Amino acid sequence: MGNVGAILQFTIDVLSLGSLYALMALGLVIIYGILRLVNFAYGELIMVAGYTLFLLHPTPLPWLIMGLLAVSVSVATAYLTERIAFRPVREQSLTAMLITSFAVSTMLQNAAMLFVSPRAKVVPLPELFTVQLTIAERIVPLRNLIAIGVSVALLALFALLLKRTILGIALRAAADRFTMTRMLGIPANLIIGTAFAISGLLAGTVALFWFGRTGSVTPEIGLWPLLVAFVSTVIGGMRSLLGAVVGGYVLALIQMAFSNFLPPALLEFRVAFVFTLVIFILLFRPEGLIRER
Amino acid sequence: MNALRQLEKSAVLNTSIALLIPLIVLAGLVELSGDLLLERIVTVMFIHLILVTGLQIFMGNSGIVSFAHIGFMGIGAYATVLFSLDPEVKAMTLRHLYEFLKPVHLPFWGALLIGTGIGTVVAAIISYPLMRLHDAAAVITSFAVLVVIHDIIVHWSEVTNGPRTLFGVERETFLWNASLCAMVGLVFAVWFRESKAGMQLRASRDDRMAAQAVGVNMLAVRWLGFVLMCGYAAFAGGLFAHFITSFQPGQFYLAEVFVVLAMLVIGGPGSVSGAVVGTVLVTLLREGLRAGEAQMNLMQLFGGQVVGLTEFLLAISMIAILILRPGGLMQGRELRLPLGSVTAARRPL
Amino acid sequence: MLRLEDVHARYGAIAALRGVSVDVQPGELVALIGANGAGKSTLLSTIAGIIRPHQGRIEFRNESLIGLVPERIVRRGLAMVPEDRQIFPALTVEENLRLGAYIRKNRDEYETDLERMFDLFPILKERFAQPAGTMSGGEQQQLAIARALMSHPQLLMLDEPSLGLAPKIVEQVFALIQELHNEGMTILLVEQNVSMTLGIADRAYVLNMGAVRAAGTPAELRQNVDLASVYLGGVG
Repeated sequence: MGNVGAILQFTIDVLSLGSLYALMALGLVIIYGILRLVNFAYGELIMVAGYTLFLLHPTPLPWLIMGLLAVSVSVATAYLTERIAFRPVREQSLTAMLITSFAVSTMLQNAAMLFVSPRAKVVPLPELFTVQLTIAERIVPLRNLIAIGVSVALLALFALLLKRTILGIALRAAADRFTMTRMLGIPANLIIGTAFAISGLLAGTVALFWFGRTGSVTPEIGLWPLLVAFVSTVIGGMRSLLGAVVGGYVLALIQMAFSNFLPPALLEFRVAFVFTLVIFILLFRPEGLIRER
Repeated sequence: MNALRQLEKSAVLNTSIALLIPLIVLAGLVELSGDLLLERIVTVMFIHLILVTGLQIFMGNSGIVSFAHIGFMGIGAYATVLFSLDPEVKAMTLRHLYEFLKPVHLPFWGALLIGTGIGTVVAAIISYPLMRLHDAAAVITSFAVLVVIHDIIVHWSEVTNGPRTLFGVERETFLWNASLCAMVGLVFAVWFRESKAGMQLRASRDDRMAAQAVGVNMLAVRWLGFVLMCGYAAFAGGLFAHFITSFQPGQFYLAEVFVVLAMLVIGGPGSVSGAVVGTVLVTLLREGLRAGEAQMNLMQLFGGQVVGLTEFLLAISMIAILILRPGGLMQGRELRLPLGSVTAARRPL
Repeated sequence: MLRLEDVHARYGAIAALRGVSVDVQPGELVALIGANGAGKSTLLSTIAGIIRPHQGRIEFRNESLIGLVPERIVRRGLAMVPEDRQIFPALTVEENLRLGAYIRKNRDEYETDLERMFDLFPILKERFAQPAGTMSGGEQQQLAIARALMSHPQLLMLDEPSLGLAPKIVEQVFALIQELHNEGMTILLVEQNVSMTLGIADRAYVLNMGAVRAAGTPAELRQNVDLASVYLGGVG
């Protein structure tokens, strides 16, 4: 019985963490697929959601509304950064775009330091997130199950969007051959704006559950999610949407495996282990795990 | 007359002198002024110059953005200090150090060389297999390498004192040796840019297929550029450690990456002159802003501490340059002595 | 309908077009022939708005195209079938065609247009739900043309439709182009295959090193111009 419980808990941990990682990676690869932009400002979308929640805390709003507002702020931030910073450099080299995103990231972090505070701030969380279930003699936080549910729902919704709507078809086409898509009359700005909005939506949603784990927000909070998104995307093969999702789950699996099975002396190095393993994967398969057609 | 003719002909000589003269004058003036604060600022500036020049060697020529080099700055710093610390001080500051490292003690330059060597060798080993990755994956991986190095430094307490400050380092870096090293590094970078390897690196950026078609070994040439960059960074790390005399891992992480990148981007990554111009300008900007920030805090202008204003404005400046003047201030051109000869136009980044 | 006057354009650092003047009257099938690197594709890309000329005029139905983004140019009534087709391989035939019809506002037209395409290209009906990447080269060429037609263009531009296709398929493609022409479509055809092209064109321009070296009806060109030498090189 004990073993079943352990396996179950491990599985739920991996799935819940992996779901967040997958959503995160998806938001990044959408942008990359269309624009070839490695968006360093992506992690900050989580940061702004966190600060929104913090700033809304004193208000009498129910948490759900605050959460929705936080996600909206992520979407708005994503859209605005595209409009103001990325669009003017779109015609330039990919390197220029990448450096711009890094500058935007730094700017947003320091804006948080400047206009809110450099110190950590507590993020309000709903009652629901404190509920803990007991399954097979193991304690499972309810929010992990909710995370899995919400992520699967979002992924399904997203898949539906891509498959059934004209916009979705256009997005897929744009990720494949951007210029040709424009030559069919589909406006570049619409595609790109939509892609950024979607990435904002995904990051915002991840943020809600992310803060469920950490409970507080700092200006640098976006770094780890960004890394996760990066590495998941690279594992999955940078061009593939499915690959990014799979990469997210794989990364969570690797991370949980190292967390559970590394000897105590090496446990504190688990980040190094995880990434070194990823680098190894890249050595033998630079194109990532998902084979591109 | 012959000397002047030679100056016109040799781009390397010409640019080197054009860059060195103002720097020597600057260093000389500061040294003569005896102002300690100024000396500190300009010494740090020269250390930054080494970092930015190293970055220029790789990124300016290959077009690939790197984040990893600052990690190697950290390795250089910690490795140098391991050997340069007086054993008594070492016992106090690195209490859990491995036995075999405890008695090791080298004079400053020896330790610096070893520290740089270690950083360079590690860079060489790690990076060679990574050169195969295409551009986006390469950038992300360099970012991951930075994180890994930082993580290891933070947790390997035996060797680094972990996240805590490592103190007790002797002040060995002064204006004269920092500026000297920076200037040597500059000249090499100028030479490299015009050398066969440097041109091959630039060729591989501009047209990969064509470069391979004429026999450029892309992997090797990129690797060389990367290792050089990390060597510069490790050296700068060692110098920095002996300037600031106490430090912690956070100083070799993203904040530093940003500053160095800002210096190169604002000056213009396409040329060594861009590296110099950017470093000088950004140093001025930062010091000015920092003084302003201090004043504001003193006067309690915003009812509390103002933090992050310098970086915030620096980031905005960087974005502005990228939008309005993508090649940076120098637009990829090298400075030339005003001999009335033709300035060769180089392509911006 | 389409007029280019003294157009100069660069492709990278190369001066790809040096003072090209071309015009296409409504209902005409005008051909641009020339060897590889002559500037044919650059010319089409310039008209389509992907490359911006630094000198010269481009007018379509008396309105300038210069400075417009590609999305706008399509909406004016120009459709392009690029070199190597550029169909979306991961999307189905249906999805490719649907994108082709993006700029059409009328949803009812879509069904009618599809039927029309099935008449012209029966194979597309067969492969309707398949990923476009699984089709053969010739089938993809048909899809590319059908996709372009879905936007109801006034002028159809084709960039080397015969490229990479077996001779028999090339014949079919050219027959198709001729049929479209007979139905009144204005066509600008860029090709390397001189003989077949001159067989169906109303007029042709010979491009070499980014400039027009000869122009006229196929009969005139065959008679007066040493096509081989103009095509292959020599400043003429």
